[in-house]
Amino acid sequence: MRESTIMKIHYGTALAAVALVAVHILMRMTMNFADSLEYETVLANYKFIPYAIMLELILVLLSIHGFNGLRVILLELKQGRTYEKAVSYGCLAAMFALIAYGSRTIIMTNMGMV
Amino acid sequence: MTQDEHKEGFKGMANPSRYGIERVAYWLMRLSGLGLLAYFIGHIYETSNILRGRVGWNEFLELTQTTEGHIVLAIVIAMCVFHTVNGIRVMLGHGGVGVGKPARPDYPYDPASQNYRHKIGIYSAIILAAIAMMYGLAVMFGE
Repeated sequence: MRESTIMKIHYGTALAAVALVAVHILMRMTMNFADSLEYETVLANYKFIPYAIMLELILVLLSIHGFNGLRVILLELKQGRTYEKAVSYGCLAAMFALIAYGSRTIIMTNMGMV
Repeated sequence: MTQDEHKEGFKGMANPSRYGIERVAYWLMRLSGLGLLAYFIGHIYETSNILRGRVGWNEFLELTQTTEGHIVLAIVIAMCVFHTVNGIRVMLGHGGVGVGKPARPDYPYDPASQNYRHKIGIYSAIILAAIAMMYGLAVMFGE
């Protein structure tokens, strides 16, 4: 993929994540901070499907943005055909692993498998 | 960059005191990005403890809901706000907003893009991050 396209994705995921993370944080502030972390409250959040979908979107957006950012930083430090391929595929693999692990939590909790 | 600065290699490029607030912003952007990625990975692991049931969740909360945990979270809030505000500044700059008009390069060759608008953007990002961190601390410790 062209670097210009990747940067557009990088900026797009950033803007979308800012909006959704703001909603995620505001949800914590609808009540006392400590109460918002209570087991029942968190479980209820995961079981509310629109919120679970939003969490999944945040997970995907931030994983793409975060690991692409890491890739950019690593490519700035050192260049070379093998190194660049290793960094790009490494970041891609880490991104998919994190999305899979986070999705597992969201799906299992939403479906009541706790 | 002079010949001597080239000899310094990575250290010369990394020196935040030599090239003004823009270089400081460059480093803060990267450091906050790496910090936020580390926090994000930790947060995904932290929230996965809900699958261990009430006992597992409460055990993990005991680890994170401490004074140290709140201080770490306040730093994360500051990093998040700085990264967001400075990121918007960088995006606008890449889009050609606020970088000035092209002009003949005259001595002392000040880059048109490193103008007061972007400097204000960087200082605003730092100030907003500090305010958000203070607000976060007030919310977390004010209970």
